[in-house]
Amino acid sequence: MANSDSPKALPTLLAGLWKENPVLALLLGMCPTLAVTSDVKSALTMGLSTAFVLLCSNIVVSLMRNLLKPHLRILMFTLTIATFVTIADLYLKAFLPAMSDKLGPYIPLIIVNCIIICRAEACASKNGLFISIIDAIGMGFGFTITLCMLGAIREILSTGAVFGKQILPAISENWYLTGGMPDGFIPMFAFALPVGAFVTLGLILGLVNMINKKTA
Amino acid sequence: MPHKTNPLVLFIKESWLLLVSAFIFGLLLAGINAAWSPKVAANKELKIQDAIVALIPATANTQIAVDNQPIKLSDKDSAKTSIFKALDKNNKLIGFAFTASGAGYADRIDLMIAVDPDFKKFLGYKVIFSNETAGFGSKIKKPFYRDQYIGAPAKKLTLKKLGNAKKIDDEIIAISGATISSTAVIDIFNKYVDKVKELMTQKGLLQ
Repeated sequence: MANSDSPKALPTLLAGLWKENPVLALLLGMCPTLAVTSDVKSALTMGLSTAFVLLCSNIVVSLMRNLLKPHLRILMFTLTIATFVTIADLYLKAFLPAMSDKLGPYIPLIIVNCIIICRAEACASKNGLFISIIDAIGMGFGFTITLCMLGAIREILSTGAVFGKQILPAISENWYLTGGMPDGFIPMFAFALPVGAFVTLGLILGLVNMINKKTA
Repeated sequence: MPHKTNPLVLFIKESWLLLVSAFIFGLLLAGINAAWSPKVAANKELKIQDAIVALIPATANTQIAVDNQPIKLSDKDSAKTSIFKALDKNNKLIGFAFTASGAGYADRIDLMIAVDPDFKKFLGYKVIFSNETAGFGSKIKKPFYRDQYIGAPAKKLTLKKLGNAKKIDDEIIAISGATISSTAVIDIFNKYVDKVKELMTQKGLLQ
């Protein structure tokens, strides 16, 4: 018989998407959120890689939760996470080499991403396999969607494109010599820089807080 | 008298899960590495091949002439380079390409630099790896900057802020807003050109 205190599947899944979204509510995983969201492709790759590691580590931690010694648990979590991060890194190197070069050290750095160790500690080490998988899916997708949203905003504002495809008309190179109005979208390169990441994230966090206050 | 536990037994009792997990994870990683490492190596080779063909379009075949050879760039600075021969469909030597790298604005910049068979002029460069700022430093990959090196004399080059970028000589016009990245590329050229020429002469690749 299931324990009445154990979390329910649907609320656990939805919590990761909004109420306990790792970036927008828990403010975890800020390093990749700020560093690799200058375009959607990088954001999607980072999000899915993190989701894969989160899912695998939650499964392994949940399966061994009854065998874990309290003083060795962090070591076990790190060992598990490092294994799956290495697999993700090797996969990108073998099958998506251009993206692997672009993301550089940020894929190996998933090892120190707080979201994964936080979910291992807060959920997988205390719950069964099913809930741990649901939690990883919710948190993983919540993280991926947030990164892609940031990536899309920054890519559109900095280049006028999404997924590398131009969606806003590009401005002529010497439009200012004609003395008229701009004939296309003026790219705001600052949004591709770290300052753009901070500004975009700050505005989104403000918006989320505003929505949460209104709906509270 | 309290019962004393054997330290070895205590160690195994406490850490068996860690030891078993480390062994299983190690096996898993070794298996995956063995399966995917040929693909990773092939990707690297393909990248080099593509870079040489992009720089010397008549290339039908490439041969490695010098593999990962250490060279001394200055008193404090040393690096490694690989030199490739570019051959046409009749197996005639049509140029050389060598790897070179240096510090950029955000990260290192790795280049493939091509020269003619006599090492008299550059045939251009291709960025193999860089992490320069999108929209600024990333313009080192754009024709405005890259094309200035095609046909430039294979000697030390100088960077100018203003000038005619279409004129091919030993003066390279910097990218506006990306002086650090422009300087980084020209520094890589200037650090490597004489040393690679010297190495190629030593190896009998140049007369």
